Amino acid sequence: MKQWGRDLAMGVRFAFAGGREGWIRVLLTAVGVGLGVALLLLTTAIPNAMATRDERETARSDMTFSATRMKKADDTLLVGYITTTYHHKNVRGRELEPEGPKAPLPPGVSAFPAPGEMVVSPALKKYLESDDGKLLRQRLPDRIVGTIGESGLIGSAELAFYRGAENLAPKIDGASVDRIKRFGAPEQPSDPLDPVLVLLILVVFAVLLTPVAVFIAAAVRFGGERRDRRLAALRLVGSDARMTRRVAAGEAMAGALVGLVLGAGFFLIGRQIAGSVEVFDYSFFPSYLNPSPLLALLVAVAVPAAAVLVTQFALRGVVIEPLGVVRTARPSRRRLWWRLLLPVGGLAMLYPMIGQGRENGNFNQYLTIGGVMLLLVGVTALLPWVVEAVVARLGAGPVAWQLAVRRLQLSSGTAARMVNGIAVAVAGAIALQMLFAGVDGQYTERKTEKVTGMQIAVDVPSGRPVAPVKEKFAATRGVENVYDLSEGYLGNTRTDPQNFAPVSVGTCASLRKVAQLPSCRDGDVFVLRPGDYAYDTKKMVKGGSKLWFDDSDDDRTTKPVAWTVPDGLKTVQGTADADRTGRAGFLMTPSALPSGADRLLTGELYLGLDNAVPDALEYVRNTGATIDPYNEPIEFVSSVRDKNYAAIRGGLFIGATCVLLLIGASLLVSQLEQLRERKKLLSSLIAFGTRRSTLSLSVLWQTAIPIGLGLVLAATVGLTLGVVLLKMTDTPVSVDWTSVLQMTGAGAGVVLAVTLLSLPPLLRLMRPDGLRTE
Amino acid sequence: MTPAGSLLVADGLHKAYGPTVALDGAEFSIHPGEVVAVMGPSGSGKSTLLHCLAGIVTPDAGSIMYNGHEMATMNDAQRSALRRSEFGFVFQFGQLVPELTCVENVALPLRLNGTSRKEAEKTALGWMERLEVDDLKKKRPGEVSGGQGQRVAVARALVTNPRVLFADEPTGALDSLNGERVMDLLTDAARSTNAAVVLVTHEARVAAYSDREIVVRDGKSRDMERAV
Repeated sequence: MKQWGRDLAMGVRFAFAGGREGWIRVLLTAVGVGLGVALLLLTTAIPNAMATRDERETARSDMTFSATRMKKADDTLLVGYITTTYHHKNVRGRELEPEGPKAPLPPGVSAFPAPGEMVVSPALKKYLESDDGKLLRQRLPDRIVGTIGESGLIGSAELAFYRGAENLAPKIDGASVDRIKRFGAPEQPSDPLDPVLVLLILVVFAVLLTPVAVFIAAAVRFGGERRDRRLAALRLVGSDARMTRRVAAGEAMAGALVGLVLGAGFFLIGRQIAGSVEVFDYSFFPSYLNPSPLLALLVAVAVPAAAVLVTQFALRGVVIEPLGVVRTARPSRRRLWWRLLLPVGGLAMLYPMIGQGRENGNFNQYLTIGGVMLLLVGVTALLPWVVEAVVARLGAGPVAWQLAVRRLQLSSGTAARMVNGIAVAVAGAIALQMLFAGVDGQYTERKTEKVTGMQIAVDVPSGRPVAPVKEKFAATRGVENVYDLSEGYLGNTRTDPQNFAPVSVGTCASLRKVAQLPSCRDGDVFVLRPGDYAYDTKKMVKGGSKLWFDDSDDDRTTKPVAWTVPDGLKTVQGTADADRTGRAGFLMTPSALPSGADRLLTGELYLGLDNAVPDALEYVRNTGATIDPYNEPIEFVSSVRDKNYAAIRGGLFIGATCVLLLIGASLLVSQLEQLRERKKLLSSLIAFGTRRSTLSLSVLWQTAIPIGLGLVLAATVGLTLGVVLLKMTDTPVSVDWTSVLQMTGAGAGVVLAVTLLSLPPLLRLMRPDGLRTE
Repeated sequence: MTPAGSLLVADGLHKAYGPTVALDGAEFSIHPGEVVAVMGPSGSGKSTLLHCLAGIVTPDAGSIMYNGHEMATMNDAQRSALRRSEFGFVFQFGQLVPELTCVENVALPLRLNGTSRKEAEKTALGWMERLEVDDLKKKRPGEVSGGQGQRVAVARALVTNPRVLFADEPTGALDSLNGERVMDLLTDAARSTNAAVVLVTHEARVAAYSDREIVVRDGKSRDMERAV
């Protein structure tokens, strides 16, 4: 053990004592390892961040969930729920009216805003000041007197406000306004995250982290050739083979240790950046992103240990003799069976979750991550075999081709290792793009639906006449048409009815929007063909039956109003608007409504928008906020998720490209290293007249053949994984060829760039002075 | 000294690598079929002289005439073509391409000249037989001994029937027995094809295979008439 420590320490010293070149090597390794470490730390911090977010959400909860009304006291607070939506973003809003000096303050707020004032989250403040937030400012015109502190928010990008109010007491109904004594009442269990989203998140991590792990493995092998020569010198002065390997491992460990420090730095930078990013309406404060100490410790131990192990593993085929390095000339033929075990094992782990879909609970995260990673790691195991098997069958062609093929036949392992990272990244990205494209389709389906007629529904506040409200909305910019219906329920008995039927009351013009009426005059009554929301209509349509307008939802003491079903009731077909709102039951014109029944109905307005007017929906919401801030107009078409998916897909493409560039950099480093090793040979080839273009072309073939094979394998594994993931989410399988081409193109582009970048040094190395010995 | 009928003549060659002067007015000439040894201590400039004569390195000043043509007027492509078709090279460590088999290595200069693979390998095998290494044809350089590798390198240098063979310390990495065998085969083969041989060496034993010796010291050359 002591000897181990001594040898590793010597390796660490060697790493730093190599002058400029040594430092560059350490730095390259460290940057590679550092990026990997930062990603690992960010990943381990996410569970903590989610937990902190939940705690904050619970701490500011202001719902009582109680059937009994609380009495006014000096420690009570009236809260109005005025959350609104703007440009598909949720803006959490509350009206506050303290009823005494001991009224509780919400977390993050130091003083109650007075009526006409509000305190806002920093993100909302910024948004209200921006051009994009101008219309929202009209909706929230109160004077901003402060900002909500971090403890009152669940994310850095959260849009939230508290507004001062008065006279809220008469509005207490438990839904729009409520009385509370404290914040932090037990929160209702929140909706579990959509399993498909969980799957996406898990797969994104696995897909981005696996190539990083492959990259770390490659990074600790930077400078291997030169290191081997130094080690040969060590052997000459008496170091045995094992000692030499340990010294080599020590050198790699040095790079990994510096990488850990850099990784911590990158993580801190990444944490700040993560604070300004919002995905699926989720954002975090940098302080939320604290990796679990145990996981962080694991990363700190595992990375240097991995560096030592990878180096020991890499040196198993190398014999370092005192007078030089001998690579085993003909490595034993690679075996396929154990290499196939990895992807097959991965598929076996994912198989039980096929067909589970989003309806049947969560996917097992261990099986998912394990399966995806085994499939991707399977690429790195299969690629050396594929390259070896294919190049062994390649014939001799022109000189450049022959030089490249023969070189690959002699040592295909190095070439395969060089492209492993790219192949894994491409395979993962193809699978994810397929999954995104498939799932995206489910959400965009609604968006692409041609919306005609009614798009928005607005509740008319009870006790307010419909006409002036309707006029206000009709005059709103972007509103094309408005119709109104009063809605309620009919019961089969005067009290405690057992059977119900919905009823909609409106003019013939309004009724025609929801049903195909053959003819209509004021005083007519119709019944809609039974649908999903018809309740017991079928049992209640018999002519002469006596029904009662239901008052069970109304806490005012009102007398039930009776109504007799007329004979010869016409059954009519609903329109698209009726289908969209689930309209069913009786349709009445105003004169058919018995006297006094109007009090038992709720007024509803239905708005059609002019899609050519930008922000028409926001103008409607602004009008709605002036009429009833507690009930926001309901939009029947949503495309919220499309934007999120676009952002995630964009982010994934950027992430995958960054990983590819990272791997490209490592490819370039090892390419240059190999070229330097062959400097003398290249010069001698030039001496006897070899064209430079021949040698350049041979270098291109040497990279292009393994990368071509790597990309074919990556596409195959990526498509397989994509199909499995789609089947897991019960999504119809379709191949997104654009993504496949995009990702393989990016991979090929990286190789081309690496080859082009290695050409100038190659040309320099081919100069005849490479033959000089003195 | 530019005797009539010289194949390759150099006059007043100057070459410096930064502050280090490698050649300082060196002269040289060689006739077809002649073997000339270039001798001198380490760092005297003999390898630089060979590289200049072969068109691998361009001298800073002076003239090199090959077969009546001034090499200074040739561009890189022309000089490369000249090396491919008219010159052959043997280096101290063979410098065989490790991934190619021995026969592919010998055939390489022919293939670079556009000869088909089959024909090139057939000719290569003929030369390997002459140099007694035909049994190594399918082996890679890493699998043969130093002496065998050097004979393969000689075969490669001669396979294009060059008019000038440049050999830079061809026996430098071999024991005396192997060194003599290589020199015997090299000079015999060159004489049989009437190729001129420029032989850079610091060993008198090797220089003894030449017809004439030129000594290079401090970048200057001096022709030594053989005293035999």
